[in-house]
Amino acid sequence: MFTLSHIPFIISIALYLVSSTWSIGHIIKSDIFNKKVARWSTIMGFLIHSGYLAFLGINSNSIPITNVYESFVSLLWCVLFVFINIDYLYKLPSLDTFLMPLVSALSIWALTFDKRDMFITVSLQKFWLIAHIIPIFIGYAAFTISFSLSVMYLTQQRQLKHKLFGRLFSKLPSLEGIDNLIWKTISFGFPLLTLGLVFGTFWVKTQNILGEMWYLDSKVILGLATWLIYAALLHMRLVASFHGTKIALLTIAGFCFVLFTFIGTFFIGSKHAFQKVSKNVTHIEILGESKLHYSHL
Amino acid sequence: MSILVVGLNHKSAPVDVREKLAFNNNSVSNALSVFTQKYPSSEAVILSTCNRVEIYASSASDAVKLEDILSFLAEFHKIEKDAFSQYMYHYKDDRAVTHLFHVSSSIDSMVIGESQILSQVKEAYTLASMEQSTGKILNQLFQQALNLSKTIHTNTSIGQGKVSISSVAVEFAEKIFQDFTGKMVLVVGAGEMCELLLKHLYEEGARTIIVANRTFERAQAIADAFQGQAIKYELLGEYLSKADIIITSTSAPHYVIHTDQVKDAIKHRRGNPIFLIDIAVPRDIEPGVGNIDNVYLYNIDDLQTVVNQNIDDRTREIEKCRAIIEKEVEHFMARLEQIKIEPAITLLRNSFHTIGKDELNRLKPKLKNINDEEWNQVVYTMERTLNKLLHHPAKVAKQEARNGGGYRYVETIKKLFGIFHHHPDDSNK
Repeated sequence: MFTLSHIPFIISIALYLVSSTWSIGHIIKSDIFNKKVARWSTIMGFLIHSGYLAFLGINSNSIPITNVYESFVSLLWCVLFVFINIDYLYKLPSLDTFLMPLVSALSIWALTFDKRDMFITVSLQKFWLIAHIIPIFIGYAAFTISFSLSVMYLTQQRQLKHKLFGRLFSKLPSLEGIDNLIWKTISFGFPLLTLGLVFGTFWVKTQNILGEMWYLDSKVILGLATWLIYAALLHMRLVASFHGTKIALLTIAGFCFVLFTFIGTFFIGSKHAFQKVSKNVTHIEILGESKLHYSHL
Repeated sequence: MSILVVGLNHKSAPVDVREKLAFNNNSVSNALSVFTQKYPSSEAVILSTCNRVEIYASSASDAVKLEDILSFLAEFHKIEKDAFSQYMYHYKDDRAVTHLFHVSSSIDSMVIGESQILSQVKEAYTLASMEQSTGKILNQLFQQALNLSKTIHTNTSIGQGKVSISSVAVEFAEKIFQDFTGKMVLVVGAGEMCELLLKHLYEEGARTIIVANRTFERAQAIADAFQGQAIKYELLGEYLSKADIIITSTSAPHYVIHTDQVKDAIKHRRGNPIFLIDIAVPRDIEPGVGNIDNVYLYNIDDLQTVVNQNIDDRTREIEKCRAIIEKEVEHFMARLEQIKIEPAITLLRNSFHTIGKDELNRLKPKLKNINDEEWNQVVYTMERTLNKLLHHPAKVAKQEARNGGGYRYVETIKKLFGIFHHHPDDSNK
């Protein structure tokens, strides 16, 4: 259920929806839908989102990832943070048209996760947690942008192939420009993902938080699969100098793994990170050095 | 006071007539100084482009007429009036204003929506200003025309979409490649269209240009023109995988680039796209090439379709432009009426103040004991009274002028107060 504390995030979502509508509308009727409205809605939404994140952090006295909802809100903040910087640095036209609807949809999805639904299963405020989570989140954010870029690439490629020279065609940048930025975002995200996974491995080994068979945990396996996909992508580009459609398709596949690793594992069950609190389970074990127990309700 | 335009364009006259009447920058300056010497109280601007020659003139009480401009053109270019007069059009006042607005907004151009005409109108006006052949009316008219043209290009799609085969091809290339520096352009064949396309690509930064042609000398000539390299036709296959952009325009009756060759090339290129433009008829590139991943093939019909579509889009915008122009003409004509009565109002004001001064001069000797401060107060009161008396009629006349009736009011006041000086038009410059 929504509470008063959801309101700032709902306002951010509303602004992201305005941004999505205006960035799409700008392609269809640029005289009615001013691009500036889209840009400022994104920035305003991001600022409110940032304030909300700070509020959540102060409330939980930690980085705001104490439940799935907070975690999702934090990840989306990272996506916007990376997007605003990329937009400022590269000024690639129409990237927001492809990214903001995705951000809006994911934000609405995030709202459906009740704050009390799933809780973190590890003790917070640990160096390892921050070292593990932050690089991975920023890496995931970069992969989200590369996903939007890949959809953009395939859209423009389809238009060129099928000779569809409408308004969208004229508003989208060159294939080469998109391809270069896909490559840049992946090569920015991959080292961060690697760093996060290495820290995570150290953490799990040194403090034994997932048990002896930690490597069989679904999130660990999916995380590794995600890493392998992006490693393959980098290999294709760096060693075999691959470009074009295949890279775009593989980037989309990579993002599906990111999404599944991040959210899917909550549904298929994983000891890692979060656990669903059902009526049958009245408490969950908080993993970590202190072996605290967190009682629900 | 009137505005007159006399001219001819691509629609009214064939090129051999247009070229006889054309001016270059030097001859425009000469012509303007000759014209203003002949008609000192009139203003003039000469607009001469590839597609049109027009003289805009504004004069008091129709001092310059159609016949005068025709005679002037005949004399200046030393040709018979009959040789061109049948091709000339002429418009007066609001129709002349409408015509200039159509011209500067490029809806009267051969290529509707082209942007070159704006700079040509600007240049014509600047030249005339430098020659001091413009005055209050034409300054106002041309400045408004230039502003209006910008407004129209911003608020309508009249200038959007490329309307030539080569610019459309370059636009497509820009949607595949971020820039052309470091990209290899391979030209197969040596048609005129090829050269035009190369010129566009070269202007956009393409510097690695390879030309292959059955006649090596012809390939060499084109390569030299673009600092490129000519290769023997037999070596074409070797360059297919290296080239980013391939343009073909041979007269071969069969395909010269086959699907298998391009499949091999794209394998070597590891997904780096190839952009192929086939402007030959019959076609040079096997159509199956277009189905290969990361290969983009366009033939002359594909490009022409886009050109036609863009022309249609621009043509559809003309009505929107006309509506904007119509409103702007109304504004201009209203402003023109105001400009017309300004000298009359000044005359009226001067006349009242002269009467006032005369009366003060008559009064002063009679007031012997008055000090300077008191006298200044009397002068101030007189001026203030006159200004107050004139304020309302001047305001009403200016307001009425917007509907074209202001002049009548001023004339009535002048008649009532017995002011019969020179015609107000005389001081319009």
